[in-house]
Amino acid sequence: MGNRRISSLATVLMAAACFCCSLGALAQTSAPPKAGNSPAAQAASRIPDLSGNWTISPGGTSWDPADPSGSKPEELPLTPWGLQHLRAAKPPFGANQTFQPNDPVQKYCDPPGPFRMYSYPWQFTIVQTPRQVYLLFEYLHVWRIVQMNQAHPKDVDTTWLGDSVGHYEGDTLVIDTVGFNDKTWLDMVGHPHSEALHTIERFRRLNHDTLELEATFQDPKAYTHSFTSKRNFKLSSFPMGETMCSLSEDQEFQKSIMDRTVPSAPAK
Amino acid sequence: MPGKLLLTFTVAAALLAAGPAFAHHGTAGYDMVKVVTVKGTVTQVDWNNPHVIFHIDGHIDSKDGGEIQHWSLEVSPPLLMNRFGWNKESLKPGDQVSAETHPARSGSPVGISGTASFLLKFVVNGTPLPHQP
Repeated sequence: MGNRRISSLATVLMAAACFCCSLGALAQTSAPPKAGNSPAAQAASRIPDLSGNWTISPGGTSWDPADPSGSKPEELPLTPWGLQHLRAAKPPFGANQTFQPNDPVQKYCDPPGPFRMYSYPWQFTIVQTPRQVYLLFEYLHVWRIVQMNQAHPKDVDTTWLGDSVGHYEGDTLVIDTVGFNDKTWLDMVGHPHSEALHTIERFRRLNHDTLELEATFQDPKAYTHSFTSKRNFKLSSFPMGETMCSLSEDQEFQKSIMDRTVPSAPAK
Repeated sequence: MPGKLLLTFTVAAALLAAGPAFAHHGTAGYDMVKVVTVKGTVTQVDWNNPHVIFHIDGHIDSKDGGEIQHWSLEVSPPLLMNRFGWNKESLKPGDQVSAETHPARSGSPVGISGTASFLLKFVVNGTPLPHQP
């Protein structure tokens, strides 16, 4: 009987220890990890603290590192396929901006895709747990899940946000994503991508108030070689809020504003 | 005094350099150099996504006393307007307003008065609202 009691107590203590480890890992998402000698504390202290609400500043219209405003969209190293798709786009921003776009986000409330999300001047936050990292975006309440320290599944279905796996390299969170569908634009000026897109995101906290993203794009169908671009985000004091895409609200806006700004077609 | 017109031209080089900085669509349909001031009465407030719209019956041209036009001015989406210090009660139907705007190139009484990076001046019942140059 005594051995059973000891065994039961050990089980309870182990469960409590595991629970406390989880709490410790979660706690570091809202505050820097506390120093300590326990394995859990040491492990938590090696995870860089990327917590906070990060503001996406206006102006990141294009992922071209030499042309972030999108004034020369054809200067990215596009393949003939890529150039054809760029020219077919009628974007709301950049050199070819129009008030009669064929932008799937504006027309249909389609998901923008992960990399276009970094152009909408709202906030996002990174929630770090031991097995998953979540990126939560205010705009359209998009959230991405990154499976940590594992490989992509063998046969990845193509989805709007792709399949993301990640790991830490010192002070940097590295996210590797494949499995994108080809229904989105890479950015606001209509740069295309195919299902062959493979991206690497590297998040690093430059200082308490600044988060750096270095994004590398590889898509042999759309671009002749890979390219890398950086953006910085500033820490915000605002709580996360809501902005949704509603087709009914978009249609009202189209009627009230967009249709009235387009000059009438000349009579035949 | 009804019919008093005010027309203001401002070279907004700084705004052009900053880029459209918009959330949902660009500014291709607007004259982003020209600024006019609409003075009149708020008739409707659409505090919705993708952009808040203020509907104003008002004047912008004083040459002939000006006929009342039905203006629609768009600004940022509701959440971003909150961060400028506005809420859905900031402008209400019946309020007297003087509002700056970049007018539509089409000549329609439509304008853009704010984006994620700027918010032009609004004066409501004599009180200025927060703005972002």
